Amino acid sequence: MLQPYFQAMNDSSVAKFISESLWVYPLDQAIHLVFLALFAGSILILDIRLLGFGMREQSVAKVARDSTPWVIIGFLGLVATGVPQLIQNAMREYFSEFFWIKMYVLPVALIYTFTIRRKVAQAEEGRVSPVVQKVVAVVSMLLWFGGVTIPSRLIGLFT
Amino acid sequence: MSEFLMPIRAVFEAVANSENSIALRESQYVWSLFEVAHVVCMCLFAGLIIMMDLRLLGIGNMQTPFSQLQKRLFPWQMLGMTLSSITGLILVYGDPMRFYSNIFFWMKMSLMVIAAVNAWAFHYIEYFNVDSWDNKVPPYGAKLAGALGLGLWAFVIVSGRLIPYNWFQNY
Repeated sequence: MLQPYFQAMNDSSVAKFISESLWVYPLDQAIHLVFLALFAGSILILDIRLLGFGMREQSVAKVARDSTPWVIIGFLGLVATGVPQLIQNAMREYFSEFFWIKMYVLPVALIYTFTIRRKVAQAEEGRVSPVVQKVVAVVSMLLWFGGVTIPSRLIGLFT
Repeated sequence: MSEFLMPIRAVFEAVANSENSIALRESQYVWSLFEVAHVVCMCLFAGLIIMMDLRLLGIGNMQTPFSQLQKRLFPWQMLGMTLSSITGLILVYGDPMRFYSNIFFWMKMSLMVIAAVNAWAFHYIEYFNVDSWDNKVPPYGAKLAGALGLGLWAFVIVSGRLIPYNWFQNY
């Protein structure tokens, strides 16, 4: 169904521009990874706190409020550097199962982070049981790392 | 320069000829498994280093006193560093000559040494008076350490990602 759109990306002048340059694509990949580190750090700092480790003297709500801007900046950076890679490799991505796993899990992880996880993290202290906090953190890490990061790396390794 | 590197080259060559190294680089899935694991471990290490550097710059995690953030994230940073180093060393073990002849690999190694010196210098030059700025925007020395840390680790990641692009291959 989406194949014509992927074909169009594949044939676009943007794809042509990227593939004609020696540096653009590798540097884009590299900067994508720097934003991944920023994004992962801002997710993990709260997930580790929800697990009951990390910055334990600080309230969950404050860790959540401090980390949210960096989650957003990291995510926007990942999208900005990810889209050119998609355009450049459109047909490879279209036929990659890992790409589609990533694309299905990504919206779920995003919605989860800004609804359930956010609600639990910002709840008044003592209103959410530690068990629930831990489950929320584990699900967050499974979605982001198991469902998005790992499949992403596998796209390039198994095509 | 090349004479100076000869002993290193000999070690890399010896490893490359070992049975396990050959098995690793010819494996269908094991090599890839470590590539994936290396990225995930990097997320833990670099991610939490970045969180600390943002606090040092005075632009992130400002509601937490620096000493507390440093103390509580340190074990996780060390865990991330240990796991990243193990998975990274296994990758080098599996294909040493590919890394030996790669400028980006040596760039990455050098930048990591400089980043470690930066962390060490900060600890001994600026961290001792943390009490006076623990709840505030850190002083210039600490900001500088944060900026250097952020920049250096970003370049470590960038040079690591560029290793597959062997533009300057020269055996």
